[in-house]
Amino acid sequence: MRRSLAKILTLTDRNLKEIVRDPLSLIFTIALPLFMEILFYFLFHGMTAQFEMRFLAPGIVVFSQSFLTLFTGLLIATDRNTSFLTRLYVSDTKSFEFIFGYAFAVLPMALVQSVLFFIVGGLFDASLFGLSMLWAILLSSCLSSFFFIAFGILFGSLCNEKSIGGMSSIIITGQSILSGMWFPVEGLDGAMVAIMNILPFKNATLLIQNTVNGINNMFDDFVYPLLIVVGYTLVALVVAIITFRNKMKAK
Amino acid sequence: MVAIKINKLRKEYKDLVAVDDLDLEIKEGELFSLLGVNGAGKTTTIKMLATLVKPTSGDAFIYDYSIKKDGDNIKKLIDISMQETAVARNLTVEENIGFYAKLSGRAQSERETIKKEIYSSFGLEKVAKKRAAKLSGGWQRKLSIALALVSKPKILFLDEPTLGLDVIARRELWSTINKLKSQMTVILTTHYMEEAEVLSDRIGIMKDGKLSFVGTKDELFAKTGKQSVEQAFVEIVSGGEFNA
Repeated sequence: MRRSLAKILTLTDRNLKEIVRDPLSLIFTIALPLFMEILFYFLFHGMTAQFEMRFLAPGIVVFSQSFLTLFTGLLIATDRNTSFLTRLYVSDTKSFEFIFGYAFAVLPMALVQSVLFFIVGGLFDASLFGLSMLWAILLSSCLSSFFFIAFGILFGSLCNEKSIGGMSSIIITGQSILSGMWFPVEGLDGAMVAIMNILPFKNATLLIQNTVNGINNMFDDFVYPLLIVVGYTLVALVVAIITFRNKMKAK
Repeated sequence: MVAIKINKLRKEYKDLVAVDDLDLEIKEGELFSLLGVNGAGKTTTIKMLATLVKPTSGDAFIYDYSIKKDGDNIKKLIDISMQETAVARNLTVEENIGFYAKLSGRAQSERETIKKEIYSSFGLEKVAKKRAAKLSGGWQRKLSIALALVSKPKILFLDEPTLGLDVIARRELWSTINKLKSQMTVILTTHYMEEAEVLSDRIGIMKDGKLSFVGTKDELFAKTGKQSVEQAFVEIVSGGEFNA
């Protein structure tokens, strides 16, 4: 157990350095969402509720996490392509140690995203500051981020460096269009809303928005979105682990 | 002492027989070169021995551990340097060595000793603070091979270690590989005949998944009547068709 933990931490340390030292990952996961948070607030606040900071900040937090899929996947795909992973397969490292090594390396990024975007949001709307913000930071950096990381591990195990961008864009686009953070859901077709309700994107956003803004109906506002996000995360994680293990196994 | 014993090892991919009932013994401390044209089955053989590819039939034993049943025990005895450079690109040379040493469970004091040994063997100290991605191809390859030594394996597989390197970088690596000969068993695949001639204790020539020749350089020359490994290799692989 102790040996496994040491290996996971060693892998985490290496993976975190790889991600943080890639300027592109910092631009997409931190700089771009931060720019969007400030720009969209100045352009549209007062026009619709979406762009009030109490909705925009948690929305941006979850949206920025969708880029974690891309960078987790890219790291794994690159490691596979350069035979880095093949070499590590010859060591006695287990598949779960690899997977947690990748996942834990991305979690600090998710924490930085949550803290930064909420604090910046709080500078524009001080009512965001409070205990509920801490809960939202905890929930977003430890739960919703895991959904996106799990898909990153899955895509990284399946795709090569060239196709990982395309696959990850499904998640990024899904989070943009189907989360309801950029436009009011109320005006949409009923079937469209029903689809959005069973997919994780809108639920992940709602979960964090409701945690910050207050929960009126415990099941509708918190438990249901939580179950959907946890459900998709677990399924994605299990499929990712199976896929990664299959790729690792001698053929 | 026998380090590797291969019994009727076979690998099939659909209609292709990549390795065809291979039998071979490699002694401890030997540097054995596996030669062959592209697709002869060299890399597949190495990957099976390194437990990365499952054999279709037959078995091989690394110090009495079966590659089919004892993968975890074998992994503690071996390491591999692949054809492709396999390093952590955004880590410095020093961090790469530290990462591999930590992953193989070395204590802090031991890691420092290993680092010094690797610096001294490969001359990596002068680029220790550079990120791997910023190194030239030759230095990256050196680092890639050096990392395979961090776990102090008893058997080292080198799959085309000098592929794509310029002549000076290649000679430098030969000198490094030569130093390894006394410390561990080395199995090397290469397309450079001169490399096999300079480094090998014994040579195996593979053709269509089978070993067409196994023996020392002198035995190879005696069998073919040629005076260089390249000429002897062409003689065996082409049946004399392309030898002047």
